[in-house]
Amino acid sequence: MRVALSGITVRFGELMAVDDVSLTIEPGEIHAILGENGAGKTTLMNALFGLVRLAAGTITIDGTERRWSSPQDAIRAGLGMVHQHFMLQDTMTVLENIVLCAEPVGRLGFVDFATARRRLHEKAETHGISLPLGRQVGALSVGEKQVVEILKLLYRDAEVLILDEPTSVLTPEEKDRLFSVLRSFRAEGKAIVLITHKLDEVMESADRVSVMRGGRLVSSSPLAATSKERIGREIIGGELPSPRTRGEYRPGETVLSVEGLRIASRAGSVGPISFEVRAGEILGIAGVSGNGQAELVQALVGLKRPLSGEIALFGRRLDTLDIAARRRIGMSYIPEDRQRTGLALAATVSENANAGREDARAYTRGPFLNRAAMARFARGLIDRYRIRVAGPHARAATMSGGNKQKLVVGRELARATPLTIAENPTWGVDIGAMDFIHGELMRMRDEGHAVLLVSTELDEILALSDRILVMYEGRIAGEVAGREADRERIGRLMTSRAEALPEVA
Amino acid sequence: MLDLLFDSSFAASVPRFVTPILLAALGGALCERAGVFNIALEGFILVGAFFAVLGSYFTGSPWFGALAAILAGIGMGLIFAEFNLRRGGDPIVVSIAINLLAAGLTTYLLRAIFDVIGAFTDPNIVGFRPIKVPVIESIPLLGPILSGQPILFYVALAAVPAVHYFLARHRLGLRMRAAGENAAALQAGGVSPQKVRLWALVACGMLCGLAGAQLSIANVSLFVENMSAGRGWIAVVAVLLTRGRPLPLFLIAVIFGAVDSFSFRVQGLGLAQQFTDMMPYLATLLMLVGLSWWRRRQEV
Repeated sequence: MRVALSGITVRFGELMAVDDVSLTIEPGEIHAILGENGAGKTTLMNALFGLVRLAAGTITIDGTERRWSSPQDAIRAGLGMVHQHFMLQDTMTVLENIVLCAEPVGRLGFVDFATARRRLHEKAETHGISLPLGRQVGALSVGEKQVVEILKLLYRDAEVLILDEPTSVLTPEEKDRLFSVLRSFRAEGKAIVLITHKLDEVMESADRVSVMRGGRLVSSSPLAATSKERIGREIIGGELPSPRTRGEYRPGETVLSVEGLRIASRAGSVGPISFEVRAGEILGIAGVSGNGQAELVQALVGLKRPLSGEIALFGRRLDTLDIAARRRIGMSYIPEDRQRTGLALAATVSENANAGREDARAYTRGPFLNRAAMARFARGLIDRYRIRVAGPHARAATMSGGNKQKLVVGRELARATPLTIAENPTWGVDIGAMDFIHGELMRMRDEGHAVLLVSTELDEILALSDRILVMYEGRIAGEVAGREADRERIGRLMTSRAEALPEVA
Repeated sequence: MLDLLFDSSFAASVPRFVTPILLAALGGALCERAGVFNIALEGFILVGAFFAVLGSYFTGSPWFGALAAILAGIGMGLIFAEFNLRRGGDPIVVSIAINLLAAGLTTYLLRAIFDVIGAFTDPNIVGFRPIKVPVIESIPLLGPILSGQPILFYVALAAVPAVHYFLARHRLGLRMRAAGENAAALQAGGVSPQKVRLWALVACGMLCGLAGAQLSIANVSLFVENMSAGRGWIAVVAVLLTRGRPLPLFLIAVIFGAVDSFSFRVQGLGLAQQFTDMMPYLATLLMLVGLSWWRRRQEV
């Protein structure tokens, strides 16, 4: 199935999200669409899928022009999409999720699960996918959830598969497995569209690369006809950032100290954990997702009450204080989940930017908020962080993922507190934004603040940390100095073979 | 003393109290699972009760009474859908409006059609007769409970597994659960959550209509203003306690029904009515406290 987009234009109010884009998706090809956050990649695909209205342009499938009145039309025509935020029902089983909205029905409209199971087995087997169909989706890992999403498309006989940032949540092995499945799809003549900002993956797997910037298509060419450097330049519209230089490591006094901390978790308990973060350093906590990092952070910021142990900031006990008190004493927090913890999506950019400052004299007028001052502050953040949004009064929900994250980072770092806790701060964020956020965290360190960086991205940990702790099964498996850190050693610590290794103090 | 309270006629009366709560709660469960916050069950029941009497009075048949109650219930569901789903009204506001509307409407119609105030009773209102179930009838203890009840009790009993199975295996049931849990995903799959919710409201209206019919043409053969008397609210509590799962819902409905029946009973012993009327609500409070205590223990 060949899909041709021609002159596609989408407007959100005053913002031109997609501006006159034309490209062709060929069968039997992996077509990567690259671009920074807010470049219009996702919007373009939503347009193809009938999820947003076209201001102009046409969609042609196998030579005939098509118009969708709902996503159902696009699905029937053979299009399928895996959204960045999975569209799954957590309390339903894998099988129920897969058949939902395309249920084979028997008598009286009851779902014929036996037929569905049979059909699915056939399709999954040819591509080497296996998954327990009776398990509840909520209990699956992120990688498995993605497989469910892909099975959904397979079950519907989708000929064009669109995957939005499919690898941002996967472990390396899961990533490999995903790409081998995608290659199997390609061999069957399906077209695969990969929306991503990870250049390396594109170089490994794509056949054709299209680059978008600011809502426009910059280039679309076979992979062989371009190069990594050229694509990189096209994405950001300039040269790639040079490797970071870091100031000398001069740790100061102890800012945060954690002693024998134990926290309840779903799998039992996390800890005991003990460590210190000092002024002027970035302490990285590495580890595969789900090894207790989330619980640790929740306990530190006050979202979760620890079972035992001590948390102290400048020697002052924190564990009995509430979140507001901790923040007042000198803590900022960049949460992993910007959709729920980081931002109030229904509130405006200005309101979000000023969250936590409602009591500050500069932003109030007596008992009332000073809207003008708030908007001024928000505008400052928008300029400084180059956040792509209609303005301070736009709703936070209208921003793309990376721009949301920039807003959170900007709000938290503007407080310039002695301690910043950053939890996967560049999750699903493009190169430009990632570089900027890394620069900001480094600036905090160089200015003598303490930064606790919890990240599942090893590259991020290695690029920023002065010291690295590795968490495994709720405990610190080992510590590595940032400079002498090598990937393999950390990798071993991340996967249980830690006891065999001597600890580096 | 205890013999007086718990004799066989007490046991036989429990199903009459369980039936309306159970039927309404099953309807509420469908709404809950589909993501419609419907706390207008009280109003749905009241209108159902009135139209059951109306249908029975004019046709001389309790079956047409039940049919009228069902249709009236569906009408209420459609009103809810119009204001909540289509016009985007807040479900709590819409529910309150519908409950007030139901009280006012039935009082008004009582006057306009039957020219009475307060209560309407007439020999032309034909109620459902008790059904003797041959074999079950002779079982000791259970016999008088399970046999000799009006048809709607058996309908309610059958509706429990039916609703359970419907939600688990039926296409529309599956979609209702999806609409309640992650409506965006349902939408992305090309199915309108609002349409699915409309069906939940229609089914809820039917079940609440029958609940009303049980009150007015099975338990008695008359209509009294505000005769739903809080049973819709008890059903709402049952739905929220069980998060709309039919099987636990059945248990809760039986407990509430038994307490309801019991409070009627002790009234006959000279206890102040103001106190006995409180009993279903006290039971509700106790159950809420108990359940939250139990859930917290489960978490640790």
